[in-house]
Amino acid sequence: MDMAYLAAGLGAGIAAIGAGIGIGLIGKGAMDGTARQPEASNDIRTSMLISAALIEGVALFGEVISFLLAIK
Amino acid sequence: MIQNFRRVFLTGLLLILGVQLAIAAEGPGNDSNQIDIQGKLRNEYFLDFSPVFGKIQLPRIIYDNNGLHFFSSTTAAINGNSGLTDEYYEEGHSKIIKNGVIQPVTYELVKDDGGHIIADFSLSVAIVYFMLSGFLVLLVFIYLNKKYSEGVGRETEPKGVLQNMFETIVIFVRDEIALTNIGPEKYLKFTPYLLSAFFMILFMNLFELIPWGESPTANLTVTAALATVTFLVTQFNGSKDHWKEVFWFPGVPVFVKPIMAVVEFLGLFTKPFALCIRLFANMASGKVLILSMIGLIFVFANKFGAGMAYGTSPIWIVMTLFIYMIKLLVAFIQAYIFTILSALFIGLATAEHEHHDAEPAHQ
Repeated sequence: MDMAYLAAGLGAGIAAIGAGIGIGLIGKGAMDGTARQPEASNDIRTSMLISAALIEGVALFGEVISFLLAIK
Repeated sequence: MIQNFRRVFLTGLLLILGVQLAIAAEGPGNDSNQIDIQGKLRNEYFLDFSPVFGKIQLPRIIYDNNGLHFFSSTTAAINGNSGLTDEYYEEGHSKIIKNGVIQPVTYELVKDDGGHIIADFSLSVAIVYFMLSGFLVLLVFIYLNKKYSEGVGRETEPKGVLQNMFETIVIFVRDEIALTNIGPEKYLKFTPYLLSAFFMILFMNLFELIPWGESPTANLTVTAALATVTFLVTQFNGSKDHWKEVFWFPGVPVFVKPIMAVVEFLGLFTKPFALCIRLFANMASGKVLILSMIGLIFVFANKFGAGMAYGTSPIWIVMTLFIYMIKLLVAFIQAYIFTILSALFIGLATAEHEHHDAEPAHQ
């Protein structure tokens, strides 16, 4: 039972690390793109949100599994 | 105008603060002295206006081996002679009777004569708020339809706060979400679905921020239903090229094609599954976060005594308000993301590619 809590905590943390790196890279890319081409900022923002949502979805799978482990 | 807005905003802030304080004040008085976070995520069968008003029980519709039963409330279902009882009493606890009526405890119904409940069509909190948001969307758009039919907004400028506000969002959904993702030929066919999805999800997300409100999107069944609709819309409008890409991917060697078929076929289902989990996890996590922030007051009370808890509670209340603001942002972003991803999937499925088979003949 205690191991399940440990697994849940570690899993949630690792999923958050992965999502953080991914979304950080997207943010970096979007900032670079907007700085080079400010007139394309609307398109960049849209695609940034879409890719952030896709990465976040994968991370949330991990978080939901961790949550299920913790409340088991 | 701005004065009025400021007044409404401040009143809203104070109201939210007041309810939070009321909930916080109620906590230690409970006999169990615990906040049931999992319980707050459960889909209950009563509307809980607890600290100020009572609980309003919702009708139960139960289909079991004796046929269909209608009850006006869970209490009526337990006290009727249809063989239904609360799960709590089935486990052997003694009956809690108030004013000669058996009181429900867990609100989960079971048969006490060994029969089975085949299907439970009962109204739950999530369904009530789901239908409420549907009616709100319907009312708003019937009103707007009337206005546009009279020519307001088409021949003249749009009038009033409601029309201006909704016209901005509707045009945003049509031009930025539908047109850019589906393409100029077919986007008008799917704009009504995307608009209803956007406004339904937005209203459902915002119900969470009203005192006593519950967000149905923090419930996995509701988001699964929404994602299923997107899945059906996508698949029923899939073009020939879409199905060809799924089962016989063009442009790769023949021995790769069966592997691609399996991957693409699974991809059909993982896309709406991710939609459903994303919306649910975002809304539910906000709820848990607020409860955790309020819960910190009681953690401090347990560790350092009541004085410390009273002293630090303003910090947690302000943090809760901050999370409320984040949730307001998330409500819009999640509605936007659900809609834009739906539009993206629909756009991918309905796209008809130009065929390059006849290309050598041109050269």
